[in-house]
Amino acid sequence: MLHYLRVKSAPALACSLALAVSIALASTAGAGISDNVKTETLPNGLKVLVLENHKAPVATFQIFYRVGSRNEQTGKTGLAHLLEHLMFRGTKKYQPEEIDQIIQENGGDLNAETSEDFTVYFENINRDHLDVPIGIEADRMANFEPKGFDSERAVVAEERRMRTEDSPADALDELSRAQAYIEHPYHWPTVGWMHDIQGLTLDDALAFHAVYYSPQNALIVAAGDFDADKVMKQISEQFGSIKNGPKPPPFDQIEPPQEGERRVILRHAANLPSFEESFHVPNLKNPDAYALEVLSEVLADGKSSRLYKDLVEDKRMVVGTSAGSNMLSFDPPLFTFSAQMRPGVKTEDVLTEVDQQIKELRDKPVTAEELQKAKNLEQAEFVYGQDSIFNEAMQLGIYEMLGDYKLIDQYLPSIDKVSAADVQRVAQKYLVKDNRTVAILEPTGLLPKQAGGGPSGGTLHRSMSFDEGGVR
Amino acid sequence: MNFQMIPPRRMIPLITALLALCVFATHADALDMKRMTLSNGAVLLVSEQHLLPMVTLSVAFDAGSRRDPKGKEGLAELTADSLTQGTRDLTATEFNQKVDFMGSEVSVGAGRDNAEASFTSLKKYEDQTLSLLAQVLINPGLRPADIERKRAEMVAAINAEEESPHYVAEVAFGKTLFGPDSPYGHPSEGFKDTTAKLTQEDVTNFYHQFYKMGGAVIAVAGDVTADEIKTKLEKEFAALQGTVPAQPAPPAPTVGPGLHPVLIDQNVAQVTAVLGFGGVERSNPDYYKLQVMNHILGGGGLTSRLMREVRSKKGLAYGVGSGFDAGKFPGSFRATLQTKNKSAEEAIAEVLHQIRLIQEQPVTDDELSQTKKYLVGSFPLKYDSLAKIDSFMLQVELYGLGLDYPDRYPKLVDDVTRDDVLASAKKYLHPDAAILVVVGNQQEAAIKVDSLLPH
Repeated sequence: MLHYLRVKSAPALACSLALAVSIALASTAGAGISDNVKTETLPNGLKVLVLENHKAPVATFQIFYRVGSRNEQTGKTGLAHLLEHLMFRGTKKYQPEEIDQIIQENGGDLNAETSEDFTVYFENINRDHLDVPIGIEADRMANFEPKGFDSERAVVAEERRMRTEDSPADALDELSRAQAYIEHPYHWPTVGWMHDIQGLTLDDALAFHAVYYSPQNALIVAAGDFDADKVMKQISEQFGSIKNGPKPPPFDQIEPPQEGERRVILRHAANLPSFEESFHVPNLKNPDAYALEVLSEVLADGKSSRLYKDLVEDKRMVVGTSAGSNMLSFDPPLFTFSAQMRPGVKTEDVLTEVDQQIKELRDKPVTAEELQKAKNLEQAEFVYGQDSIFNEAMQLGIYEMLGDYKLIDQYLPSIDKVSAADVQRVAQKYLVKDNRTVAILEPTGLLPKQAGGGPSGGTLHRSMSFDEGGVR
Repeated sequence: MNFQMIPPRRMIPLITALLALCVFATHADALDMKRMTLSNGAVLLVSEQHLLPMVTLSVAFDAGSRRDPKGKEGLAELTADSLTQGTRDLTATEFNQKVDFMGSEVSVGAGRDNAEASFTSLKKYEDQTLSLLAQVLINPGLRPADIERKRAEMVAAINAEEESPHYVAEVAFGKTLFGPDSPYGHPSEGFKDTTAKLTQEDVTNFYHQFYKMGGAVIAVAGDVTADEIKTKLEKEFAALQGTVPAQPAPPAPTVGPGLHPVLIDQNVAQVTAVLGFGGVERSNPDYYKLQVMNHILGGGGLTSRLMREVRSKKGLAYGVGSGFDAGKFPGSFRATLQTKNKSAEEAIAEVLHQIRLIQEQPVTDDELSQTKKYLVGSFPLKYDSLAKIDSFMLQVELYGLGLDYPDRYPKLVDDVTRDDVLASAKKYLHPDAAILVVVGNQQEAAIKVDSLLPH
């Protein structure tokens, strides 16, 4: 959930997969991204990572808080994300919009993002003015005092309408996760349920900030065209005296093993049927995650991948398809297949086709050429990922929150160790029916149910086009 | 909201001469653009960047969707898509296999003004990837079965896109503003009925007519040297000769007095509204004044007036913004927002109010200086990756900005005054002669267009 959009939005699922892929890539090239990182832990427990990169006269400053929607309680879902919005609504020192104004005047862009696991605030800025976001982020950690709570909560409700309710793919993803996770808080969407959002209060947000937004629960990553020692000193000066609040409660929720397939139907405004098929899999704390990563490359990376070749090119059944998981998820993620049917194609037929592809992975090892191609793709994409200082810093931050930023350097060697037998073994272990949640979207068309006469004064066009067809 | 129609901001005026000098030297050093001409007439721009072992290359052809013949909307895109389906010697499957095995990325796509063929590769695969790209451009497969397949994919993708109210609104706006005879009146993927009728012959003809190196622009950024890449390009593209005759400029789009509603019923929780009128071409001398003016009005993210009033104060929208999509020919101005069906009229009224306000009163000194500082200071963010450098160089050449563009641009924008902003708002904003597209649940939205007109 970005604080606001500067670019065309993408469905949440797409975002999380894209993030997983780009992170995977970045970590692949292996040799020593972390060698050049300087670290320091301030006396109040705040850890800081600083990395010089002189490719362009820019810098990125990122502060992570180890709090996301998984730390929320039932009935208060969406609180982590609403708090993220409120962080732009002022402090004791700054009025609403003043923070944005100051960063802009100094040649920077800023935004923030909330995930299930964490919340990150970032500024990409002219290298000469990195001191400005450092000061501002310290101020809003210590002196949070938002104004205009009611209108910001309304903005978040509008965000939910835009991202989830009016996006068939996101609406389906929300339902799918709610079915796949029953006990674990990944059950609810990061943006929150609408009724919960509308009931959140300023006191909720202030209490959440007091617990989770303190130095011991944060992590800073700065990267760019600067002198690392100088930047480390600036950060230490601004953040070193901030006191900790109460210790955040330990997080110990787990999702019990799934015992039997779950199927769920969503009837929603859409042209085309689609589905998501998800399996519980481990994150990078289990080496199986690397074999699953290679498996997803073979299935869905590039136009020569199995799913693209089969479903898009040869059989022409789907508009698009994807497969993969976010191995950098704090708790075990889902490995998700998704597809959107072409007009006239039945969902069940494509599900059968995907079943066949999965069976193939369980029955036969991938070919030596496929295995090598997957590794080559990861290697190349890792180098491409480093072309963005922002991505590089983001990856370091996420690895550090998962335990140690140096884990990033183990990614490529771990991928290289994956054998065809490993890929077959994880397919047999995780991609099984009892571990599967299937969510199917049945389109109800794009016209409102009560569509009739149009309002006065305008010309009423029918929805520009609507093809009957697909599954009933 | 969609800011993508707005061309990337370029360097803007410097607040002091001293700062200008410092910043500018840095930009020039970092970009280090070199310009050459190939013997087939193509212009080559190179930025040597040796930090990472990778290369990006883009070729812009005068083969964008503005070249689509009337009734064959979608042809430029189908041609571009079909080009990557193998070569005379390689099937689509063999081609994809080779590209993926290197971890390279090869694509051809059609935008409104130009089609772009590009690749990204590791340095060690530069020659092989360049060769593959050259082969699809010089000896493409263009097999009937592949073209038919790509056409079916495009039609299916339009079906999928129509689930997005934003897509439906943007397409309806473009169609209404520019009309059926304008090269800008359709999206590059065409309309379902026109795209579905395209033939192999259409594609082959379009390819032979518009994929010529004379007049094409090539941008290369990455781990290369200018001389080496020039030699390779001379060799690889020697066979792609010829030029494309210039396209006559269409008349600038105009909208008659009044607010012209296009209301489209869709089962959504929010309306998407697009309000706008004709805009400017990239070469318009007032372009820089408009950049400053629009940043203050609705281009500047959360600090813009539209964001402040519609989002922050009233809580009516998550996204609201505005922009001029200046192209080779005059484009449009659009203000776009999403809000729950019931608050459609209130939000649109506020947008109209803000447009009128910036026409009536000068912006404040603070707004003007903050905008200039942002546009100047954030310039390095426009070239902090190889892909961004490629795209920057293409614009410099395609719009004739010249290699000294970073030198000239600060002054062009620094000269913008409060009076200029007011005058350009008066001249180029037309709240009382505008098109209003609203996609949403019309019964719930119940927009009374009369009440949006000035009283």
